[in-house]
Amino acid sequence: MSSVAVSAGGLLTPLRGPWTIAWYTYREGIRKKTLVGFLILSLLVIFGSSFMGAFLNPTTVGDVEKDIDLKLIKDICVTSISIFGILITIFVSASAVPTELENRVVYTILSKPVRRFQYLLGKFAGVQLIVLVNLGLMGALFFLLLYFRQGVMPTLLLWSIFFTYFEFLIVSAFTFAISCTATSAVLPTIGGLFVWITGSLTEYLKDVGVRSGWKGWAGFEGPSDLMEHFSVEKLVGGLAESLFRVLPNLQEYNLKMQILDKPPNDPPTIDLIPQLIIYGLVYAASGFILAYLFYRRKEI
Amino acid sequence: MSVIIETRKLSKTYEGAFGSQDVVALKDLDLVVHGGEIYGYLGPNGSGKTTTIKLLLALIFPTSGEIEILGEKNITARKVRQNIGYLPEGAYYPDFLKGEEVLRFYGRLYGLGGKDLERRIDAVMDTVGMTHARKRLLRGYSKGMRQRIGLAQALISDPQILILDEPTTGLDPIARKEIRDILARLRDEGKTLLISSHELLEVELICNRIGILSYGVLQTQGAIDELLTDREISILVAGTEQGAAQLEGTGITVEDTVGDRIKLRVPDETHVYDALARCKAAGLQLVSVAPRRETLEELFVRVVGAAEAAARKAAV
Repeated sequence: MSSVAVSAGGLLTPLRGPWTIAWYTYREGIRKKTLVGFLILSLLVIFGSSFMGAFLNPTTVGDVEKDIDLKLIKDICVTSISIFGILITIFVSASAVPTELENRVVYTILSKPVRRFQYLLGKFAGVQLIVLVNLGLMGALFFLLLYFRQGVMPTLLLWSIFFTYFEFLIVSAFTFAISCTATSAVLPTIGGLFVWITGSLTEYLKDVGVRSGWKGWAGFEGPSDLMEHFSVEKLVGGLAESLFRVLPNLQEYNLKMQILDKPPNDPPTIDLIPQLIIYGLVYAASGFILAYLFYRRKEI
Repeated sequence: MSVIIETRKLSKTYEGAFGSQDVVALKDLDLVVHGGEIYGYLGPNGSGKTTTIKLLLALIFPTSGEIEILGEKNITARKVRQNIGYLPEGAYYPDFLKGEEVLRFYGRLYGLGGKDLERRIDAVMDTVGMTHARKRLLRGYSKGMRQRIGLAQALISDPQILILDEPTTGLDPIARKEIRDILARLRDEGKTLLISSHELLEVELICNRIGILSYGVLQTQGAIDELLTDREISILVAGTEQGAAQLEGTGITVEDTVGDRIKLRVPDETHVYDALARCKAAGLQLVSVAPRRETLEELFVRVVGAAEAAARKAAV
């Protein structure tokens, strides 16, 4: 064999390929004009929110004015981070794999000693790096804004950013999975938006299930009973209930109301923080495994 | 000579979506590439060349048949992958990276690192003649320079096999010659090259063996000297076009006319004396008679034409 000797193996050797791909994905991703546009826009909105007080009713005075002003800033910033952050997440997750198929870079990578699992791991890790850096930049600006306004360390905001990342992680994993079936970023972008919207509305799905009179599959005594009591309302209710059980509940990660109403250095009132972290990681892992299953035998 | 790449009855059929007809991209391919040779893999567009290459690289999966590379049936084994360098057609390399950074990226995918990697980068930059531009961003590279960087990434692990898809397409004549010289040098170093190309002149100049693919079937395969035989005789005469017109329908082909020189062709030496007599009768003066070697282009057109005729006949 004429090929040169590769570096000595070690525990981390299988991760060298994914890390190389992740770093490349990150470097390429942060140069995308759409992404940079979203980021600049979000930073402008966050920064601009501190001037919103100028537009408040001048007859309102004292602490009340200060309080409304602060709430307005918080509301704008949290919403801005959430919306621009998710748009960046979906855009990056949806395009990471299909773009390399379009420009044929994937051929040069997968013809090397790189497994498809390693390739996907690298791409996904690169996407997460981009999401984290963007979230970090938006969060840092918001953090500084609040700190200088209130003079207290806004630790609750740090918790909020931490949980927002898990929301992004889940949406990112499923968008990434859809992108592994696609040849362009359009379908996965739509899929990602669908995951985010339904994931944010799962409480309503539960409500639809309850209102339809659906009592779950256990409520039926057999196929004949099911046919006898069948109705469109129950079908919709059953579907909504099933979706509620399958889809991630992204509202669990939302600390917006607490940030608006509570002192900035209060601890979060979310119960079961470790469980929520595990919940997010399990959903993200499921999304990634799904991506691998789609891509494992994909003809590229 | 050892066999480096071998396929046995390799077939690939793409299933038609939504009830449309299946597409047979490759049928019972028996490809043999020997060590230390340049194998030209030829065929018209859609003949199955890229499908074959993708199958060899496990980017797609065969419907049936076997592939053996370096004696290994598991073509995704590290031993095999470590020894294959691949240059796809029209591949993109990121503009924001410098030439050497591109090679660093691909080198790391092979598990190279530290001084070993830097040594390899130095060596391949030298091989492809890009040492002077290694610290420049790719956005400042010409098309030929990008192609050379593409070739360098394929060479970064010093592989035994190089698979190149249209390596000279779209390049100017000088860049083409430079790439051709690099490929010939690599063959002389003992590497095995499988080149898919439309540039028949390039292939004729550098390949040892060729295979012509049409309709997913390997129509012919062999050493280029054996396939391009001295089949025909070229006769150069002087005279008028009216004289040449008298030769029509006699089995003599008028190839070209420049001034009063007329280039004729007869199928083999048994027809020469008859042709000379007819020329004399037509008032044409003999200038020269020479055996004429079939060009690769002619062989290609003949083989592909026959395959197309057979396919049309089968379809009726």
